[in-house]
Order: sequence, then C-alpha cells, then structure tokens
Amino acid sequence: MFSLLKIEWLKIKKYPAFWAMLIIVLLTYPAANLMFYNVYLRITTQKGTDMLAKMLLGNPFAFPETWHTVAYISSFFVILPSILVIMLVTNEYQYKTQRQNIIDGWTRRQFMTSKLMDVIIVSGITTILYTLVAIGFSVYASTFDVSKMWDQSYYIGLFFLQTFAQLSIAFLLGYLIKKAFIALGIFLFYYLIVENIATAYLKLKAQKIGGDIGRYLPFEISDRMIVSPAFMGRFGKDLKEAYEKALSEVPSQIVLSLLLTAAIWAFCFLMHRKKDL
Amino acid sequence: MHPILTITGVSKNYGKLTALDAVSFEVPAGAVFGILGPNGSGKTTLLSIILDVLHADTGKFSWFGNTPQTNNRKQIGSLLETPNFYHYLSAVDNLKITQAISGRGNSADIDKVLEIVKLSERKKSKFSSYSLGMKQRLAIGAALLGNPDVLVFDEPTNGLDPVGIAEIRSLIQSLAAAGKTIIMASHLLDEVEKVCTHVAILKKGILLTAGPVDEVLAQEDIVEIAASNNDDLLNIVESMGGFSKIKKHTNCLQLFYPIGTAQLESINKYCFEKGITLQQLQLKKKSLETKFFELTND
Repeated sequence: MFSLLKIEWLKIKKYPAFWAMLIIVLLTYPAANLMFYNVYLRITTQKGTDMLAKMLLGNPFAFPETWHTVAYISSFFVILPSILVIMLVTNEYQYKTQRQNIIDGWTRRQFMTSKLMDVIIVSGITTILYTLVAIGFSVYASTFDVSKMWDQSYYIGLFFLQTFAQLSIAFLLGYLIKKAFIALGIFLFYYLIVENIATAYLKLKAQKIGGDIGRYLPFEISDRMIVSPAFMGRFGKDLKEAYEKALSEVPSQIVLSLLLTAAIWAFCFLMHRKKDL
Repeated sequence: MHPILTITGVSKNYGKLTALDAVSFEVPAGAVFGILGPNGSGKTTLLSIILDVLHADTGKFSWFGNTPQTNNRKQIGSLLETPNFYHYLSAVDNLKITQAISGRGNSADIDKVLEIVKLSERKKSKFSSYSLGMKQRLAIGAALLGNPDVLVFDEPTNGLDPVGIAEIRSLIQSLAAAGKTIIMASHLLDEVEKVCTHVAILKKGILLTAGPVDEVLAQEDIVEIAASNNDDLLNIVESMGGFSKIKKHTNCLQLFYPIGTAQLESINKYCFEKGITLQQLQLKKKSLETKFFELTND
C-alpha cells in the first residue's frame, strides 16, 4: 500500500495542475468564507437592526458553529478538486500509462487502488484546508473559546466524506469518458445545471410525488449531509421545520453516501478487472 | 529447461473479426524470437495478451513455466506499440516510476540505461519535448532498466532514423549475445533475419509457421546455376532430373530440391559431361522475405 502511495506521489508531485488546484483552493476557501463573513458583519453592524440580527444569526464563525458554516460554504467549491481528479484519471488514458503501469508489473487491482488513493489524497488535502480555514476564521472572527472548539468537529468527517463522495463521482465520469474535456464538460453541466434544476423541480413536486426524491440524486445525496448553517432555522416556523427535517435526514444521507460511493468504487474495480486496456 | 513463454490455443475476437485464431508456440530460453505478419495480422494483440493488457477469449499462456502472475511481468522489460510516459515528467522521473512499479534497477541503473539509449543529455527534459525517435529510445531504455533476462519489443525501430535503427539492431544483437531472451514483433523482415534465431509468421490471426529461422526458411535446397548460354543449359538440366522444379531467371536458373538432396558436385559434373561449363554454381538459402511473401500472399 505504501509503495502505491509513493508511486502516485511520483506522478503527482511534478504535475502543474495539482499545485495550481492547491493554490486555487487555498485562495478560494478563505475568500468565499470572507465574503460571507463580510455580509454577516454588514448585517450585524447596521444601526437599528444590529441587535436583532445578532440575536437571530449568532456568530456562525465562532466555535463550534464555524465547523458547520465553513463546511457548508466551502462545499460549494468541490468543483475545483473535481477538475484535478478528472485530469488525474484521464491523463492515464491520454498518455496510455494505464496500460504501461500494468505492463510494468502492477495488477489491475493495484492500478485502481492507486487511483482510489489519489481521490483519498485530494479529499484529505481539501479537508485539511477546510479545517485550517474553519479554525482560522474562528480565531479571526470571535473570541477564541477552546472549551467549545471540538464540539461540532464531526463536521471535519462529514466534509471529508462529502468531498470524497463527490470526487468519486467525478472520478467515475473521467474513468468512463476517458477524454478530459468531454468529462469536464459533462461534469460541470450536470453538477451546476442539471442536478440543481432537477433538485428544485423535484422539491416543487414533492407533495404530488409523495416525497422529496431529489435527495437521491448523486450529488444531492452527499450535499444533504451538511445542511445549511443553523441560523437558517431561526427565520420563522416553516424554515425551522425545514431545517429540523433536513437535520433529521442527515444520518440516512450519510448511509446513502457511503453506499453510493462504495458502489462507484466496486463498479470501477470490477470493470477494470474485466476490460481490455 | 522450461521454455520462457508457452502460448497454447490463444484466440481473440473483436466482434466478428478474428484477431487471433488458436495460436500456439513456445519461445525457448535465449532465443531472439521474431513475430512477423502484415498489418492487422495480430502481432500486437498477441503481445498485449501475453503482457496482460488484453484478455484472451480462449487459450492460455505461461511465462517461465508458471501460470500468469504479476511478478512475471516485473521480470520482463517491455515496449508495446507506443512509448507510454507521463508527458509532464522528465525521462528520469518517468523511469523512476517504471523502476518503482517493476522493482527493476535503481537510480544508478536509470542513468546507465539513459546512457545506452543516448538520452543522457536530455534526461531532465520533459517527455513532451522529445522527438518521436527520442520517445522510442526512452521506451527501449525503460525496457532495459534493471537488465531483465526477457525483453518484449513491439516494432522497436519505429520512428528511428537509419543510424538509430542500426544502433538498436546492434543493441539487440549484443543483448542476444549476453543470453537474453528477446521476443520482437516487426514489419522489417531484413531486421528480423539479421537478428532472430526463431520466427513465427502470422496472417489474419492465424499462425502460419513457427520455429527456428533455419528450419522455417530451409524447407528446400535452391541451387542457382548459370552458363554463357542459359537456354542451352536449361535444355540440358531438364533431362538431368532429381529436382522438384526449375525456374528461369534473366541471369541464372534456379533448381529446387527436397531439403538435403542437392549435390553440387553431381550437377557440375553432369553439365560438364554434356559440354557446358558452368559460370555460377551456388546453394542458396531462401530469404525470409521470399518465405514471408510465399506464406502471406493469397
């Protein structure tokens, strides 16, 4: 296992797109959260409404709420590591190194395990960046309260699982389509447009269909593990109910995410064992 | 001694197209084994199967007398079809990956093989900046890494200039002299004839013949004779008998005998007694090219 990791590192460490993604994520996560924080500051410092806003919103960037808020905001940018994951798998086809690795002595299983490791590594790096941003914002935006620091730190696990689940879908697309630009195009089109429209439509038709089946869409399954920040549930009865319902569905969304991700990888391992390279 | 490679009844179809049809042969240790065939005859498909890149529909193969095992491939230096490397990495970084996956060689060996394939000066350049010939050289270098005992080369001289072709030919000859087993697919019959000890000829996925080059080529003796008047010579030798057929060329006659039966001395004596002095009398081996066209032409 360690040798597979070492070989993947040899492939990645001099790949310019890897470092570019790292720098972009490094800039995007704090920037996106900072934008959100500035909106929060404007609302909570406006004369007349500041007290009410503070009461309703609390401080979403203070411990322990920062874990949740930063995870929610950062999760919108999974698109960045997804591009890298798609490049990492389609490169192997473009350079025909997926054949060469086998010719040189890897088993097909070892090749797929190494790709699984790539996705775990990218998810891990993304999660580390999220963790640093969440801690950084809490230190920057509130009085540092160590006693509450780890109260909602389970969001680190949820963020990792969500990133890993969504990057696995990106990997599957790259693996099946093989061509980087076509895979990226389909990924972006589906992720940004198709699923959002489908989710909204299914939510509208939820009563007629007898339930919100949008929660079973590939990205929505893991999106709903990290519900919108807690203050969203403080604006009236309907939003409170919706927030609590979303919270109650989190455990089942976690199970569904695990099942979908396991199914994706089982399919990839099986297919790679059987197919001609 | 076990054969290095045993292929038994290997077949492969792509839909209705038969790429390989029950191909069987053995590659003995120390052989330079040429696999010949026109385009689309199944050479690369066969090499892809024995390197586990493609699955055979039926049949089996075994390296070193074992059933297919991962570690077998690690002991084989291979160049299959095209040089496959990470474009954004240098020659050295690419060979580090080859070395890490196969376990063949070490850092010093990487420099050594780059020296052999004459890429030392460009070893830190990105693969994407290489010419076709340099890419091919790097692929040969990767196959040589760690000095494996068995090498598989698919069209090793592809993309090389005449000097490069001559260098690779002499490299293969020196590897063969060092006792390596080399399995090589090629279109270049002259190349194969110069370096191979064994040959297999494929056509449309069917194995036409396989065995030591001498046996494949020498199924009959060919005697070339010429005199000042070849028409008179033809009249005389027609009554001599003993040969299976006779062919008249512009400058000579070719007499074909069952293998081992041509007696040059008797032919010379017969013609002399009939009043014709031969200007040319030579026992010729059939060229691989002749044999190849004989077998592969419909």
